[in-house]
Amino acid sequence: MDIVVCIKQVVAGDRVKIDPRTYNLVRSAEFSYINPLDLFAIEMAVQLKKEQSATITAVTMGPQISEEVLWEALTLGADRAVLLSDPRFSASDTLATSYVLGMGIRKIGKFDLILCGMRTTDGDTGQVGPQLAEELDVPYISAVEKVKGEKGSFRVERVSDGFREIVEVSVPALFTISSKTAVRLPSLIAIQDTFTRNSIECWNLEDLNADPDKVGRAGSGTWVEGLTPTAQKKSCVLIEGDPRQQARILLSKLLEKNLLS
Amino acid sequence: MGRQFAKMELAPIAKEIDEEGRFPWEAVEKMGSLNLFGIQAPRQYGGAETDSISYCLVIEEISRVCASMGLMLAVHNGVVVHPVSQFGRDEQKAKFLSPLVAGEKIGAFCLTEPNAGSDAMAIESTALKEGDSYLVNANKIFVTNGGVADILIIFTSVDPGNVKKGFSAILVERGTPGFEVGLLENNCGMRANPVSSIILNDCRVPKTNLLGQEGEGFKVAMAALDNGRIGIAAQAVGIAQGALDASLRYAKERIQFRVPLSQHQAIQLMLADMGTMVEAARLLTLNAAHVKDRGGDLSGPSAMAKLFAGRAASKVASMGVQIHGGYGYSKDYPIERYFRDARATEIYEGTNEIQQIVIARELLKRGEE
Repeated sequence: MDIVVCIKQVVAGDRVKIDPRTYNLVRSAEFSYINPLDLFAIEMAVQLKKEQSATITAVTMGPQISEEVLWEALTLGADRAVLLSDPRFSASDTLATSYVLGMGIRKIGKFDLILCGMRTTDGDTGQVGPQLAEELDVPYISAVEKVKGEKGSFRVERVSDGFREIVEVSVPALFTISSKTAVRLPSLIAIQDTFTRNSIECWNLEDLNADPDKVGRAGSGTWVEGLTPTAQKKSCVLIEGDPRQQARILLSKLLEKNLLS
Repeated sequence: MGRQFAKMELAPIAKEIDEEGRFPWEAVEKMGSLNLFGIQAPRQYGGAETDSISYCLVIEEISRVCASMGLMLAVHNGVVVHPVSQFGRDEQKAKFLSPLVAGEKIGAFCLTEPNAGSDAMAIESTALKEGDSYLVNANKIFVTNGGVADILIIFTSVDPGNVKKGFSAILVERGTPGFEVGLLENNCGMRANPVSSIILNDCRVPKTNLLGQEGEGFKVAMAALDNGRIGIAAQAVGIAQGALDASLRYAKERIQFRVPLSQHQAIQLMLADMGTMVEAARLLTLNAAHVKDRGGDLSGPSAMAKLFAGRAASKVASMGVQIHGGYGYSKDYPIERYFRDARATEIYEGTNEIQQIVIARELLKRGEE
């Protein structure tokens, strides 16, 4: 089975800086890491590889420094890593990103399964997964917790609105993964082997044979018109009285705000 | 990986295991599966065979959060696994190295005695030859990992009349009749490491457990310590960095005179000095690691790294306490633990003064250029 895992480098939450002119994220290697939700997708791929033979290719689109997350994916069990990088890809919204990822996956060639995280912790749109499925014209299932590969199809479990759904889908397909498996750390041997045996393939616009009008700002259906920070107002209320009274007041306030239902 | 492991597995327990003086077995198995017990050991025996730079980075990150575990790993890897890899015969490596590297067995290095330590040749331990075995008697003290070690390198003399000639290293397994773990030391820092005395009373050990040749013990000890010092230097860098982390956090939180401490110039000056010392210590340590990887003469660089990093750790932790003020003297904040832990790095695996002797000797040997 050939599995492609799409991952993204995100900036640590408290280090997010926005370019005041372009409204794009300012990235720095030091405070960037793999989108935590993508780790579940990698883990799912590794699990499937354990159950049946599979090749895992990790793909990301981003500037050169985002190859760091590809190295991480390799240490966690990916077999191959592809960086889609070109200055013309910058300022891509989710639509343009999905197009670039789609072109990358077309160039990779054969795939049975594409796995993505549910969303990223920086952009937070959750759109790339479904848009990529649309781009490649494959069936898409969101919030998948379990995958079982059968001949020519997958049986997957997803949880939605309090129901556990079991869905059967034909190959190839794209899933976004929401399992909450414990994060596994790579061993030193895995890290050592990754850096001595692997390399990162880097493809630009020409390598992908991509249409320049469909990438970057030109290929984006949306762009950020303005950005103003919203201050979260926090205020501290001191509850007085003896402990019993305090507890009663606290309880009534929580109920009033509908926080206990 | 080291940083994430320390954050996920050690940060939640570091305070508690220090207070209880408890060895965290629950973390040991996980460290084994991540190859932390054989960081530089050969692949053939299950090790990760990394370079010394990677070794330093791992020890630093673990020590940044929990110095006791950094010490456990630095001793296990630096002065047990390393000399067994370097001086062990194939059958010794198969028998001892594999379980050590897997983390199934923990190692210890036993040189110090009540009347010997910095003066290694003053050991009183003996190993008398009897047929195919040695009858070992020893009273070893301040043994790091002593309370949990399974495989110990004992420095002893096979020629009691002439320690210099008979100085030898012998591998002894816990559980051998006559082997006894003495009282645990009640140390001021590194409290989660079961530092103890080890008593060998007519302990019969097969001759095949001799590490290196008879009379080569000093060579084994010095090679182990030259290497081990890099690990201790990395540990000291980790403690210093941890103390700096805690101080930066506190300086931003604590409000005095209506502004955070970090806005007072007096505090900024301290933070600047602390950061500079940490960085200088790190670079000296990585330099020693680099010299080792290139196969250069390690004695001077590793002694310089350990001397400077140990002092930096003590100084940075002490300044950290100062920044914390009264809270720095309280057990409620982690800085006091760094302060206690840091002090040991100026003493074990060769005191500052021994490092100075080594450094001066190397300088004088080199002479004018």
